[in-house]
Amino acid sequence: MTIVRTGWLAAALLTSTTLLASPALAQTRAETLRHVTGAAINTLDPNIPGSTREAFGLSLLTYDRLLSFGRKQLNGKWVFDLDSIRGELAESYTVSPDGLKITFNLRKDAKFHDGTPVTAEDVKWSLDREVSANVLGKGQLLTGSLTSPDQFKIIDAHTFEVTLPKPDKLALANLAVVYPVIINSKLAKSHATAEDPWALNWLKDNTAGSGAYIIESYKPGETTILRRNPDWNRGSADKPASFKRIITQTVPEAATRANLVEKGDADIVIDLQATDAADLEKKGKLKVVSTPQYNSITFVSFNNQMPPFDKIEVRRAIAAALPYDDMFKAALFGRGAPLYGANWPDGKAPTGEIFPIPQPLKTDLAEAKKQLAAAGLPDGFSTTFSFNVGQAGTAEPMAALLKESLGKVGIKVDIQKLPDAQMSTLINEKKVPFFTEGIVAWLPSMDYFYRNFYIGPIRWNYASLDDAKITEWAQAARFEADKAKYASYGKDLNTRHFELMPQIPLWQPAQDAVMASSIDGYVYQFHRQIDFRDLSRK
Amino acid sequence: MSQLSITAKRAGWRFASSLPALFGVLVFTFLLMRVLPGDPAVFFASGPTAGKEEIETIRKQMGLDKPVPEQLLRYLGDIGSGNLGRSLTTGQPVLSDLKSRLPASLELTFSALLIALVTAVPLGVAAALRQGSGIDHIVRFICALGVCVPTFVSGLLLIYAFYYLLGFAPDPTGRVDIFTSPPPLVTGFLLIDFALAGDWEGWRAAASQLVLPAFTMALFVVAPLARITRAAMLASLGSDFVRTARSLGLSRRKVIVTYALRNALLPVLTIAGIVFSTMLGANVLVEKVFSWPGVASYALDALLASDYAPVQGFVLLMASIFVLVNLTVDVLYGIADPRVSVE
Repeated sequence: MTIVRTGWLAAALLTSTTLLASPALAQTRAETLRHVTGAAINTLDPNIPGSTREAFGLSLLTYDRLLSFGRKQLNGKWVFDLDSIRGELAESYTVSPDGLKITFNLRKDAKFHDGTPVTAEDVKWSLDREVSANVLGKGQLLTGSLTSPDQFKIIDAHTFEVTLPKPDKLALANLAVVYPVIINSKLAKSHATAEDPWALNWLKDNTAGSGAYIIESYKPGETTILRRNPDWNRGSADKPASFKRIITQTVPEAATRANLVEKGDADIVIDLQATDAADLEKKGKLKVVSTPQYNSITFVSFNNQMPPFDKIEVRRAIAAALPYDDMFKAALFGRGAPLYGANWPDGKAPTGEIFPIPQPLKTDLAEAKKQLAAAGLPDGFSTTFSFNVGQAGTAEPMAALLKESLGKVGIKVDIQKLPDAQMSTLINEKKVPFFTEGIVAWLPSMDYFYRNFYIGPIRWNYASLDDAKITEWAQAARFEADKAKYASYGKDLNTRHFELMPQIPLWQPAQDAVMASSIDGYVYQFHRQIDFRDLSRK
Repeated sequence: MSQLSITAKRAGWRFASSLPALFGVLVFTFLLMRVLPGDPAVFFASGPTAGKEEIETIRKQMGLDKPVPEQLLRYLGDIGSGNLGRSLTTGQPVLSDLKSRLPASLELTFSALLIALVTAVPLGVAAALRQGSGIDHIVRFICALGVCVPTFVSGLLLIYAFYYLLGFAPDPTGRVDIFTSPPPLVTGFLLIDFALAGDWEGWRAAASQLVLPAFTMALFVVAPLARITRAAMLASLGSDFVRTARSLGLSRRKVIVTYALRNALLPVLTIAGIVFSTMLGANVLVEKVFSWPGVASYALDALLASDYAPVQGFVLLMASIFVLVNLTVDVLYGIADPRVSVE
């Protein structure tokens, strides 16, 4: 009797699970792409403050921009190409010889989802909104010298002109990022109010675009289902996007995401843990495209205004004491591109067109001790090393190794794991002495990195660096049209960066896109999301 | 006075006396959120070009530019008019978020509680009837296992076994298979809504999604329920009235079920009420593991992001549910044991 009674529990558990499992899926899976992600889409307009990266990814599907980026191969992987900019809603564009006037010829056959044609008037309204309303695009377009509605002019229904105050290398590129979406101005205006002339509230939960996909259902934090727009023809092959439906689903547990894609229930995922990605790659059933995020850097940073990190020797000592290889293996399982271990024979940066570049850094404890002595701290010091909880997966093992290695040269480190909101606040107030962070530049040109991450009192100047030379060269490089001169500014900047060691670039983490082996066409995009318009099923 | 009016009066009085507590919870959560470190405006202004202006916009949007007492007054006024604010994490009004997510949590919790009760009460009774025997030890083992294995571990293990290895369970994401169209919204409880719509295929899909998370949750609370049942059953088996009933030569079944068990169920009822309230909040890990769109995981995400409005809304909701559950338990208690209602 005893056995019967206890066996009952196990039997109940088993049978109920078996009986209730539904065997087949109703719809045709081949035409649908199911994407799982850990994060959530929280707005349909990418311009709303607080938008998530997933929301950026969505806007690329539902809206068109004037321009979009082409692609290139980097070490055998397809990545977006900042230097090849092609038309999306613009059929073609011309830049005047002095670089001050850009004329766009709009596609005459482009239609919004409601069937109305896309005209220069819509383009004007949308770009005016970008530079006038309180939207994210405002700050972004500033980096391409696009600041005022006066710069945008309607020539005729399908011709549009942008005027620049100075020739700006990033003006065109800025029109291809996620913010300057072209909105159906008549539709949007009909939902605008006196307090909200740019229809920010309405566009948050509604789309008025001409993009490749139309929203079928949108449950914030759960799922977003997209239906293909059959009239869309801005793809590279001049035809609608390949998948009929796209489902983006939030699945918070990384292990479950890995299970889903391995079982074939999900088609693609890009935010797995490095271990899971490595494991699935080894099993060989799925396609794993691992692209180093060439527009991002993970670094160890110091507040350069705060003692003892205001001393160059202290920063150098830490740079010489970090266990780079061990950290790279422990944090990322070696998935990514290291930014250490380079060889600069003459102490000068080998290149100037790009940043970041690998730094000539290696673990050398004797050198670290020497630098500490030179800083007047031969016995070391105590400090805290902070990272945010959201990055714990990679930062935790890294911090433990850092603590151990710095301990060998007398620097006592307390590890501080902070909630994300608290970490952002402290960084914004410049109160964290020693920490790790990552940065991403959508438009990864050398001067953009220096201007946005090493200058001024802004939050993204993590190191709180204030160096007259870096400021001067970076600003000058921005408007330098001569390629050789630009490279020479870059060489000086890269060399100076290494000499000052304001923060230590460690690596570029890989973006691991794990997908069913039948999925084709994946390209690593500037916003680190999937552009589903690229994908098709073989 | 009739039994019914006594019960109603009692319920009304209990409800009124819990209002000050609710108000206290409201103010306390409000203040607590504001002394927590971390500025939500800075966190949400995380765009690549986020500057001071953007931070100020968000701060203004959240009403954080005003002094705290004024914020509190505005907040209380908003609550009075049924406005719980807007979540920055999902971009939706908190009230509609909670409304759409609460049924998911309740459905999961009710199912889990039902499974737990159906399992725990017989186990507890069996253990009490054969005190110190093999079955008693087995019950103790199951209880220990349920309590010591955290829900996210048991959840992941169940997924691994039944979804990944055996393939019995559907993919563990959400309340219904992604390719099944949801039923017309009536109650928000999928099992009820599918049944009302007569869509039994959909009902099966929803029920099969529910099995693993509900078992995970149930496993966690079988222990307290079984232990209480066992203890209460032992106490009532040893009491005078059971001895009397036995000495009168009543059947074993009548003695155990009618006399012992009925009396033993009172403490089980109390504990079940408390267990239910805690489960609703403690669901968070189960909801995370099974991508269950419930209120607990919603509140946790908001808390990590210092998103004030959803956290405050969630605490208020939980406090209200706690009050309601206590009220229900009181009323049931009065029905089960009329002596309780005598004031």
